[in-house]
Amino acid sequence: MNLPDRTVLGNGAVLVSASLPSNPFVAFRGSIPAGVAAEGESHGVAEFTSRLLLSGTRHRTAAKLADRLEGIGATLEFHNGDEVLSFSGRSTRDTARETVRILVECLSEPTFPEREIERVRVELLNDLRIEADDTHLRAMRELERFVFPNDHPYGRDPKGGADRVRRIRRRDLVAFHEAHVNPEALILAVTGDVDRRLMEDAIAEPLSRLDTSSEGVPAIPPPRPHKPRRVSIPMPHKSQADIVVGGPAVPRRHDDYYALNLANLLFGRIGLYGRLGRNLRDEQGLAYYAFASLDAKTAGGMWSLAAGVNPANLSKATRSIREELDRLQTDPFHSDEVRDGKDNQVGSLIVSLERNAEVASELHRMEYYGLGMGFLEGYPEIVRGLEEDRVREVAMKYFTAEGSSMVVAGPVGRARLSL
Amino acid sequence: MPTHVETLENGLKVILRPISDTRAVSTWVVYRIGSRNEVPGMTGSTHWVEHMLFKGGGKLGKGDIDKLISRLGGKMNAFTDTDYTMYFETIPASAMDTALMIESERMRNAAFDPKEVEAERTVVISEREGAENQPEFAVEEELWALAFQVHPYHWTPIGYKQDLAVLDREPLYRHYLRHYAPNNASLILVGGFDPAVAMQHVREAFSLLRPEAPPDPLRLAEPDQRGERRSDLVRPGPADLLSIGWHIPAAAHGDTPALILLSTVLGGWRGLLSFAAGDWHPRSNRLYHALVESKLATDAGVRQEMKLDPSLLIVSATLAKGASLDRVEQVIDREVDKLRRTVPVKAELDRAKQQVRSWARYEQDGVTFQGMLLSAGEGLSSWDFGERLLGKVEKVRGEQVREVAKTYLVDEHRSVVRFHAQGGAG
Repeated sequence: MNLPDRTVLGNGAVLVSASLPSNPFVAFRGSIPAGVAAEGESHGVAEFTSRLLLSGTRHRTAAKLADRLEGIGATLEFHNGDEVLSFSGRSTRDTARETVRILVECLSEPTFPEREIERVRVELLNDLRIEADDTHLRAMRELERFVFPNDHPYGRDPKGGADRVRRIRRRDLVAFHEAHVNPEALILAVTGDVDRRLMEDAIAEPLSRLDTSSEGVPAIPPPRPHKPRRVSIPMPHKSQADIVVGGPAVPRRHDDYYALNLANLLFGRIGLYGRLGRNLRDEQGLAYYAFASLDAKTAGGMWSLAAGVNPANLSKATRSIREELDRLQTDPFHSDEVRDGKDNQVGSLIVSLERNAEVASELHRMEYYGLGMGFLEGYPEIVRGLEEDRVREVAMKYFTAEGSSMVVAGPVGRARLSL
Repeated sequence: MPTHVETLENGLKVILRPISDTRAVSTWVVYRIGSRNEVPGMTGSTHWVEHMLFKGGGKLGKGDIDKLISRLGGKMNAFTDTDYTMYFETIPASAMDTALMIESERMRNAAFDPKEVEAERTVVISEREGAENQPEFAVEEELWALAFQVHPYHWTPIGYKQDLAVLDREPLYRHYLRHYAPNNASLILVGGFDPAVAMQHVREAFSLLRPEAPPDPLRLAEPDQRGERRSDLVRPGPADLLSIGWHIPAAAHGDTPALILLSTVLGGWRGLLSFAAGDWHPRSNRLYHALVESKLATDAGVRQEMKLDPSLLIVSATLAKGASLDRVEQVIDREVDKLRRTVPVKAELDRAKQQVRSWARYEQDGVTFQGMLLSAGEGLSSWDFGERLLGKVEKVRGEQVREVAKTYLVDEHRSVVRFHAQGGAG
């Protein structure tokens, strides 16, 4: 992939693009800082708003929007996140201009019809019930609440809970939209069958029509300190229990990020889920999945691990998780593990950027976190330059049983859990 | 797209699709063995065998596949379907030989170490138990069991827990030896390589492997259904669910293109295999208007299960709280009846064709997806199954959509599963 192109439009929107001609369509991914962090005390409005952006504009009803988009074979989606409202889509080269015009129309002129508000309210309430019945989602939601306490945007349910969903009114949505959905700090990453002419005519031109009327981009406060907890959520009708363990990590631009990312790979991702998977799945056959994750954002981050086990194996599994965490202190990553991990991260640059969707996401991430357009070229050097001891140190510092919370959801009692 | 096809002397069909501007290569092997080739008492064995083929044998020790691919930054996985099983590695093209060596060893030399077979028993049971946590799995398993009473589509590829609890190494190993042979497989390579050079490497890796006697053809055919079948599941869950399955012909049948447009008009289109669609759900379709816009359901869709043998077209819905299963079923009946009575208008048919056309492009997103599409095509009939189907869809007339609705969406030939959610955790 060549160095991506970057353009700043007059209204502040940033366009990033890279050509991937063998993938015969155009894909884009973008964002506006209108996620959970922007909603203040009005919990749930960001999520509610994001689900209504395809529900009608001043020019078209929801049905007409869907008919037109699918009539030209395009896709357009909006999703709410902790920090941003994100949007993504696909079209052919010929229909890219119209697809971006519809994107602009949905962002700038939504009408929030009452009928659609009530439809989304029903949908959100169902989603809350479905998530509450899902062992993994329920455990993760609780873990996030512990790691990011005091209603921090990273820790709370973006839907705001059933009471909030029932109370949100059209005026709340209109106010949130007017205050936060505008092109200041808008990023759009485009890839696939694109070139400079297509970017100028079909993408930049319609996007530059978005007006700026901003209240400014809200700063995200750093999370308050985490107090580790152990909680079980009995769900007796389930077959399997989900265990999640986790604690605070670092923001994306923190000095420890790259070392911690490599440590996370070695602990619970590489191959069949790193050390964790080797122990729980490969050696003991306790779980189909047992993996670790690192989620680094603007103002903070979280690392976590998850495993799905039969309730009869719960104690054995938590004991094994504890052993693997303790082993990071007594038997830290060996040189050959670190070497394999570095090879994996460098090699994965070729493999993980083969699809339009993956490239668009990566371009977006580079711009959002200010990593620079040369980031991908310099990445191998960053990885190769990581000192082995640094990788071991950050694993010892962040991946500890004492510093972590644990939640178990499934066919388990309320008995106190230990890790 | 230029595609080179050649069959080795031992029967291995090789399909090479070079792509000039990529540095990755995706290597796929598809075996014509799935849960349809199992017998009662051995359900889930094909899937268990798939798990065992990551555990080494021949030149590969335990954990070697993992290490070799990880060091390259590659991705790999495998999928067991009712009709076929496929394996893949996507790695830098310069390391193509690594994937070829892994697949060559996997084809004939898997170890099936008894200790490893035993360790994997709890892993596959755990995979099943994870699925059991989802109410949708119970509905899916019930629907296929209801609709197929003779044919092995009666069970799903994960198998029954009671079979997984007692199966032992010998039948699994025999199952492997019988079906994992070059003349029962196709090898697909997509990515940055020269076809002549790649073919030379393929010959070096595979030409010495011995073929097996061809597997016996499956003789079981599902008799015609004589009346509607219904099942009501009353279990804890967060939302009522409804699934209705009608018998449709095998994927290779001439009515499949018209059924694709019927599915699209009724529930939208998410691609032939729907792996590229992610979270995206269509809205410009009759079920969305009738069920979701009207707040009877929060999700509704159609799945046309394209299989080697006659299969199902499935309509499913997640009900909104307070909506009744009877009412949702009535609305689906009404929409199906409209399809049987009235030819879709031109604009609706054009929109459906455009969706199918566009998704045919979106499913070409990168070497891994292209490899998967070609492999699934080989599993069903031929690597170009998707491309040929697209050509036929273009020619379908509205009248043919009505005809297939009248022929297949027949009440006497359907199975209905209703999930009555009790309590739930919310």
